[in-house]
Amino acid sequence: MTTTDIASAPVGGGYDRLLARRERRFASALLAPAFVALTATTTFPLLYLVWTSAHRVDLAMPFTNGYVGLENYAVLLADDRFWSSLLVSLVYTGSTVVLQVVIGLALALLVMDMKRGQGWFRLIAILPVVLSPAVVGMIWRTFMLAPEFGIIDFLAINAGLGSQNWLGEPKLAMLSVIAIHTWQWTPFAFMVLLASLASLPDDIYEAARLDRASAWQRFYRITLPLLRPAIVMVIIMRTMVALTAFAAIFTVTAGGPGTATEILNLYAYRKSFTELSFGYGSALAVALLIVTVLISGVLFALRRAK
Amino acid sequence: MSGRGQVSFRNIARTYGNFAALKGVDFDIREGEFFALLGPSGSGKSTTLRILAGLDAPTAGQVLIDGQDVTAVDARDRDIAMVFQSYALYPHMTVAQNIAFPLEMSGHSKAEIGPAVHDAARKVKIEHLLDRKPGQLSGGQQQRVALARAIVRKAKLFLLDEPLSNLDAKLRLETRAELKKLQRALGVTAVYVTHDQEEAMTLADRMAVFMGGEIQQIGTPAEVFAKPNSIDIAGFIGNPPMNLIPARYVDGDVTIGGHRLKTDSTLTGERDVVVGLRPGALRAASDGVPARVDLIEDLGDTAILDLDCAGTLLRMRVSDIEIPNEGDTIKVTARPQDVHLFDPATKARL
Repeated sequence: MTTTDIASAPVGGGYDRLLARRERRFASALLAPAFVALTATTTFPLLYLVWTSAHRVDLAMPFTNGYVGLENYAVLLADDRFWSSLLVSLVYTGSTVVLQVVIGLALALLVMDMKRGQGWFRLIAILPVVLSPAVVGMIWRTFMLAPEFGIIDFLAINAGLGSQNWLGEPKLAMLSVIAIHTWQWTPFAFMVLLASLASLPDDIYEAARLDRASAWQRFYRITLPLLRPAIVMVIIMRTMVALTAFAAIFTVTAGGPGTATEILNLYAYRKSFTELSFGYGSALAVALLIVTVLISGVLFALRRAK
Repeated sequence: MSGRGQVSFRNIARTYGNFAALKGVDFDIREGEFFALLGPSGSGKSTTLRILAGLDAPTAGQVLIDGQDVTAVDARDRDIAMVFQSYALYPHMTVAQNIAFPLEMSGHSKAEIGPAVHDAARKVKIEHLLDRKPGQLSGGQQQRVALARAIVRKAKLFLLDEPLSNLDAKLRLETRAELKKLQRALGVTAVYVTHDQEEAMTLADRMAVFMGGEIQQIGTPAEVFAKPNSIDIAGFIGNPPMNLIPARYVDGDVTIGGHRLKTDSTLTGERDVVVGLRPGALRAASDGVPARVDLIEDLGDTAILDLDCAGTLLRMRVSDIEIPNEGDTIKVTARPQDVHLFDPATKARL
């Protein structure tokens, strides 16, 4: 078959095109199964979600089900609880991402200068990341934050702050879930930034010393700009995950007290699976999707800019 | 401006674990001098430069710059500019920002920096590249940026760590000549590390030859070439290096391959020696030592002959008009003043 193909191919430059076409066809054949699987498991459910959000699907009152167009979205825009959960989501995401980057970078800079034990530090640091967020939530709720017996509360009592209701008081509950997320995911930022730091050449720091740059100037003028791509990447990845966080908050506060820690994701879950209002729940999920896409779009644009 | 850029090393040693990189070196560099640190890799020359720059601390000894002990002074405060072998340009800054960086760090105003950057760029002919990033430049251009960054600030000392080793041969020759002119024009003290003896010979006013963590000889290139003071230096300096032949010395004469060769040595008595003969110092003579031509390396204007002289390999440089044929037997000799004698045990010059 090969010989006849080549024999029938046009002379001069034609072979290139023929080979390229054949290669493309083969590549498509290899990609097809993965493509089909991905479409079936991601694209289709997504489209179905959008479809559902244009319907009234209420298992508590099935007789009212049917197509309602944009009615769910109109309700959503007037829903105070939607706006408050969106705000909680943004505060949660913004603060956890900033904390992860700042603490992760500080740790990476410290560990870079460690002469010994770097390997151990990395190993221990990575542990929280490999835990399931639900497990992390349970650990914090019981061992760390439980009144009187939890480590954090014990420390607070010993520090003279007195026993606090860490998960029962709205502001403290928000602080707690932010702390838990930061605790679990800072190692990720730390590892990425440490790897990026390690790849920076030593000689430019020596050149900077001879150019009379102080330690702070070396950090601000050289390290930070060179780490920028890694930092932006960490921010993008962690933002997308924080916006759609679920398990840790669900196991620790379940969105409470009241709606103090109810992020948009949790609200959509409650609407869908507690109140069994799937249509409205889907609309909330689509709203979360739009917010996530918008924010990551802005972040990616910032990444490309310069 | 008097006394700017004098350097003294006082018994500087540096060990890394069990490895002694420097075993106590002493030297002085005069103001305005172009001083080369020459030696094979691992000989301690780069360590010496890094200690001078303050990037590495000596295990023992003292570094003095302009009479002041700077051994414990940080690199930032030594007022030294350096060109790195890797150039060490800041990859995220443009060429102009790279050159401006040392001036910004020492607190110059914007009004001073602009003209200074242009002036430095003009001196190394990269004015047209000021808006580029290092990644967009060729190796030769990057090297010039590194030079401009080093000369923009009028530092006391100008250090160069194998600055030409990453350039191709033609560019290396051009840049070498420019470097010498630049250093003369600036009148600054320059310390130049290289493993290339040709670079050291052509550039340096004086040079220190490093071997195994020690300085074997300090002198002008001509002195070191004319009177290498050890077998190691004799075998390192010159291209091709000096022929080194074990021989027997009797009252001013040496015997090689059964033939006597006159020396200008006044030593009396009889002893074993190593005779050193520069390939260029060998000449054909009817009363010379017979040698068979094994191989001819024709370099165009000259040729290097590999001679078999009673089982000993001798290399000889001849001009293109005297090239014999391979397999011919020619007779070679050397003038008495061109015969170097070394002690085979101590390796020192006799």
